[in-house]
Amino acid sequence: MTLPETVHPSLWRADQLAQSATRCVDTGFAALSAQLPGGGWPAGTLTDLLVQQHGIGELRLLQPALAALGKRPIVLLHPPHPPQALALAALGIEPSQLLWVRGGARASDALWAAEQILRSGCCGALLLWQQHARGETLRRLHLAAQSGDTLFWMLRPLAAAQEASPAPLRLSLKPAPGGIDIGFVKRRGPLRDAPLFLPLTPALLQRHATPLDRDTPATAPARSLPSALVGG
Amino acid sequence: MVLEQERVIALSDAAQAAGVRPGLRRGGAVMLAPQSQFQQRAPALEADALQAVALALLQYTPQLAQAEEATLLLDVGASLRLFGGIRALCRQVARSVRALGFTGWLGCAPTARGAWLLARSRAGRALKMASLERRLAALPVGLLPPARPCLGWLEGIGCLTVGALYRLPRPGLQRRCGRPLLDMLDDAHGLRPELHEWLRAPASFSAGMELFDRVEHAAALLFGAHRLLLQLTGWLSAHQLAVGRIRLLLEHERGRSAAAPTVIDVLLAQPTWQDAHLVRLLKERLARLQLEAPVIGLRLEAPQVQPMAPLSDSLFPEPGGGKEDWQRLLELLAARLGPENVLQALPSADYRPGQANTWVSIQQKVRPAEARAQLPPDLGNLPRPLWLLARPIPLLMRDHRPYYGSPLRICSTGERIEAGWWGEMHSRDYFMAQGADHAHYWLFKERGEQEPRWYLQGLFA
Repeated sequence: MTLPETVHPSLWRADQLAQSATRCVDTGFAALSAQLPGGGWPAGTLTDLLVQQHGIGELRLLQPALAALGKRPIVLLHPPHPPQALALAALGIEPSQLLWVRGGARASDALWAAEQILRSGCCGALLLWQQHARGETLRRLHLAAQSGDTLFWMLRPLAAAQEASPAPLRLSLKPAPGGIDIGFVKRRGPLRDAPLFLPLTPALLQRHATPLDRDTPATAPARSLPSALVGG
Repeated sequence: MVLEQERVIALSDAAQAAGVRPGLRRGGAVMLAPQSQFQQRAPALEADALQAVALALLQYTPQLAQAEEATLLLDVGASLRLFGGIRALCRQVARSVRALGFTGWLGCAPTARGAWLLARSRAGRALKMASLERRLAALPVGLLPPARPCLGWLEGIGCLTVGALYRLPRPGLQRRCGRPLLDMLDDAHGLRPELHEWLRAPASFSAGMELFDRVEHAAALLFGAHRLLLQLTGWLSAHQLAVGRIRLLLEHERGRSAAAPTVIDVLLAQPTWQDAHLVRLLKERLARLQLEAPVIGLRLEAPQVQPMAPLSDSLFPEPGGGKEDWQRLLELLAARLGPENVLQALPSADYRPGQANTWVSIQQKVRPAEARAQLPPDLGNLPRPLWLLARPIPLLMRDHRPYYGSPLRICSTGERIEAGWWGEMHSRDYFMAQGADHAHYWLFKERGEQEPRWYLQGLFA
């Protein structure tokens, strides 16, 4: 019997992840990549990231994919706070790659700018922060994203998880001790209720952390180490 | 209805339906269609219009001549390959004329006079000499201007078409109707070399137009601006130039409430000679503009031009478009959102985080190497948050701990920053802290005061 997934690339069984038709960029986290159809962030589609609050590690999650873009420009469209080029440079993103676009006077300006950026297709990645987005604007942005191979993430509040969206991949991000919990709101694959925990501490925290906050190393019981190591 | 010497020479469909015919006297026309508007024919305006169309069509060929009876002759023999064949070229020419707001008839033939006759008879294309002769033979003889004085005689001998005229004995025809008629027939059949006086584009560009009405919405001016831009593209390709800056003047009413024209200056990072990008830029600029007074006229100038440098198409185009596409996108964003809202990073070498994180408008030229040189060498060792708040938020204190939504737990050693004695003095200890929501914050403690005060400066996204 022929397996359904071998008949056509867009067929998959309910317990499998779909094969992605578009190019995918590795997330840099093996545990997360294994859970995504195509094994990474899909390029040229709308990807919904639903964050509980800003500043919980959403950019650290995207950092490996952004750093892999090479010299292509990255647009931060309508971010909630001014971005800091120094910190982005520490993450491996050149300052000359960055473009910070503040929304204009009207609310529709940011959406218009997103569409123009996606249609031009010369940017490597576009990150759009929006509070509210209506279904037709999402569909429009998704269509515009399909005309190129820009990595397009839309960051919205967690409450938007209840609303419908044409995005084929929707993830919810919640802070957790020592990392973030990624919930799979929608993906082309089996339903997964349990969130995926991804350790994501700021790299410097380990170096700057005081011993108080670190887990105390397990003390070696006496005589458990070979005498050669102890060095009599 | 347009009148010349008190007789109707052109009329609208509604007047035609009312029974008005060309050649009718004014009185009769007023009786048949009393509600219609009457205009006197203005030869100066007609010449201007023809000049405007000629300028716009210069983008298709440099060899363009004006002919009798409001006709333009274009020698497109050398342009066929560039524009993708005769059909595509005809479509583009017709589209340009329509975009300028005029109606025209397009005739196309191996000889200029043949094309002229076809255009005058509202007929289309004849690409081969044989088919042209067939088409010409069926045309009425009255189309030829030299034949018009002796039209009565030609009708009397039953010679009604150009074909019949061409078959008449030449010496007799020359004696009765003159040499020009024979010359024109020979021109049309390609028996005589044709000489044209090609149009020379003016040395500098400045085109204006009057609007039909007082316009109060800036967005409604785009149509007129598009017409002027089409003329600009024709002029640019005739001179092999590219434009780096255009200036659109919106002329306001003269008289008692005279006002200086509103100037829209569009500066381009990359010189261009195509109208599509300029139209998009002007559209965004006009949409943002608030008009103070109604506009009655438009004028377009090109104060900054440079020789055109056509792109070399690469064999393997880069994915994601070239540098030109990127520049165009930036210009478009800046035109709509304002240049102060489209920013690029220009880090400056300063210890104070607020001063180090500078963003400048995209219109400022920044070399990537310059920006990189300003970054500190031990970049990886500096704890810097991704979001830097525009203004630090003073934090409440609860149980001797800073409080922001939840009590914050300091989780790093401090970093002391003391700088800026020459201006804004900073004397602060920076810490990383973690809230009960597990998010990381960047705090600082203001030093030098009796009671330490805590502020939130950034978020580690």
